[in-house]
Amino acid sequence: MKHSPLERFKKGVKSWETVLLGLLLAEFVIFGIANPKFLMPRVLLGSVNDIISICIISLFVTFVMITGGIDIQAGSIVGLSSIVIGVTWQDFGLNIWVAAILAMVVAALCGALSGFFVAYCGVQPMVVTLGGSFLYTGIALLVSNISATASYKGISGFPEDFTQIAKFKLFGVIPSQLLIFAALTVIAYFLLHKSKFGRKVFLVGVNPRAAEYSGINSRFVTLLTYVLSGVSASIAGIVLTAYLGTAKSDIGVTFTLPIITAVVLGGTLSTGGKGSVIGTALAALVIGVLRFGLPLSFKVSNQYLDIPVGLLLLIVVVGRSIAANPTLLRKLGIGKAKRQKNKA
Amino acid sequence: MNTLKKITKIREINSLFFLIALFAIVGMVNPAFLAPTTLFNCFNDSVVFTLLATGIAFVILTGEIDVSIGATLGLSAAISSSLLRDGASWFVAIAAGLLAGVVVGLINGFGVSTLGIPSLIFTLGTNGVVRGMIYVYTGGAWVENLPASFTKLSQVKLFGNLTIFYLVVLLGVIAAHIALTHTRRGRYFIAVGDNAAGATLVGIPAKRTKILAYVLCGVLASVAGIIYSSRIGFITPTAGNGYEMKAIAACVLGGISLSGGLGSLLGASIGAVIMSSVSRILVFLGFSSDYDNTITGILLITIVVIDALTQNRAATKSRHERLAARTGPAHAKKGGAAK
Repeated sequence: MKHSPLERFKKGVKSWETVLLGLLLAEFVIFGIANPKFLMPRVLLGSVNDIISICIISLFVTFVMITGGIDIQAGSIVGLSSIVIGVTWQDFGLNIWVAAILAMVVAALCGALSGFFVAYCGVQPMVVTLGGSFLYTGIALLVSNISATASYKGISGFPEDFTQIAKFKLFGVIPSQLLIFAALTVIAYFLLHKSKFGRKVFLVGVNPRAAEYSGINSRFVTLLTYVLSGVSASIAGIVLTAYLGTAKSDIGVTFTLPIITAVVLGGTLSTGGKGSVIGTALAALVIGVLRFGLPLSFKVSNQYLDIPVGLLLLIVVVGRSIAANPTLLRKLGIGKAKRQKNKA
Repeated sequence: MNTLKKITKIREINSLFFLIALFAIVGMVNPAFLAPTTLFNCFNDSVVFTLLATGIAFVILTGEIDVSIGATLGLSAAISSSLLRDGASWFVAIAAGLLAGVVVGLINGFGVSTLGIPSLIFTLGTNGVVRGMIYVYTGGAWVENLPASFTKLSQVKLFGNLTIFYLVVLLGVIAAHIALTHTRRGRYFIAVGDNAAGATLVGIPAKRTKILAYVLCGVLASVAGIIYSSRIGFITPTAGNGYEMKAIAACVLGGISLSGGLGSLLGASIGAVIMSSVSRILVFLGFSSDYDNTITGILLITIVVIDALTQNRAATKSRHERLAARTGPAHAKKGGAAK
């Protein structure tokens, strides 16, 4: 009797995406009932700007975490991409699209550098990307100093074509950011779950040595995952720059923790070998809708939003850990019983 | 020669050499840097990071990580200083601040050690919750108008120019270092970090040691928070944001390995001095302090890459030696020739 809900929970967890989808739907229902305005397409779809960067980047940080690594530098690459676009466009007079492509190349190089140290020098991913986050934030600031515009002001006045990236709306309602996110989700899905490269990423995460012995160039695969996450960060940087209309060196510094939260909530094992793009995409949306819905429907102040997101993460990881290891619950239960006995 | 080799194997000595070399080079470029006031200030200003780095060193030595210390610092700072502002006694204010650190540490320890959740993820969650608690507690407002007697405490200096805070913290770190390296219980931390399963097998309470590490880390972050409020004089809700990454960087600079079991508390405190001196050094070298993050990043990556490469070489070498010993001298020769 006592076991049946636990077992049912276990079964549900087996397809974690279903749980996340349920969670997402529940959010829509609850927020919609509390404030019908929430469900208005204009309001709902307009909120996408605030979360899109985290959604985009977390898709590809999933790759890194499946190989058993971690990437805490992606946020700093967002700012670097943004300022590279601004400076090369305004001060070097490059075409805005060339500038955007240049930003992606720079981001790919940043990813490759960190990936190289992780894959070929055997340094812990956390340390390398921690160093990378300092380095790329620093470089972004230095690049912004090249510009004639003071760095705190940001570079603005981009051509209409460019800002159109973030202003375009399909059928007049669906914002382009959502389309970009959907397209990237599809790309990431096929790359991770349907391609040879994706199989290799999983194998490297399960057992890098075995992958190496079976003829996979596991080091190069690892390096590529960091390049991918770097490039995705630059895409987020481009979209964000287009939306804000300003290039600044420090946009994105606060993204690190939400990105990791989204990936973990999406069901990716931080030890590697397991994870899914769909899970990450859904988790990113769950977090995004939560951050948007709580202030709108329940008048929760923006400043408090870290609490529900943090609690959500804690509840999920604790729940999954107990579900994966039911003896833990029994042990804790027995521990409690013993203590009570002692008291008596 | 042999002794020299032995000494350079001690990781915190390497960090100390690096610190001295760094200061000497900067002193050569700009002798003003070596003035006692400046040098002492390098140490005085590192006091908050020294505490944070030493605290997180306990956790890192056991092979885990804690990214909630920045928020813990902010929460303790907000609690203690708001109580002081409202006229509570010093004892109550400081005890309340420390209690916050103990509670956060216990929660982290419970999640990571008892429930077995990956430490980065669990402390990421508590980080969000604790940061949010600061906003709830302060209502998003700054805590200002701290009593002058409290803020003046950070100005009290001994031996010329060393603040009493740094002196006390340094003595505490040395005491903790000795306790960690020379007592049975102290060595548990390193044993657990080196090989948790092995430590459990020989009867070391691995789980309890990890919980204790988290509690110590939380308490030290609280102490850092209280000293922070005395030094700065006001607390914003974002106080300490991102400090966790800098504290981890300080540990790495001080020769602590993030995989656990390798390094020492003294190393962490040396790393904290290097870490917090970078911006001052830049000023004395005539650069803008905008280079701060870039230099820190380059330093961090260079040091860990060199460290990883030397360790990999040592590991490969010892593997070859083991192989040679196992296959006997005749085979070893053949193997050597093939190489």
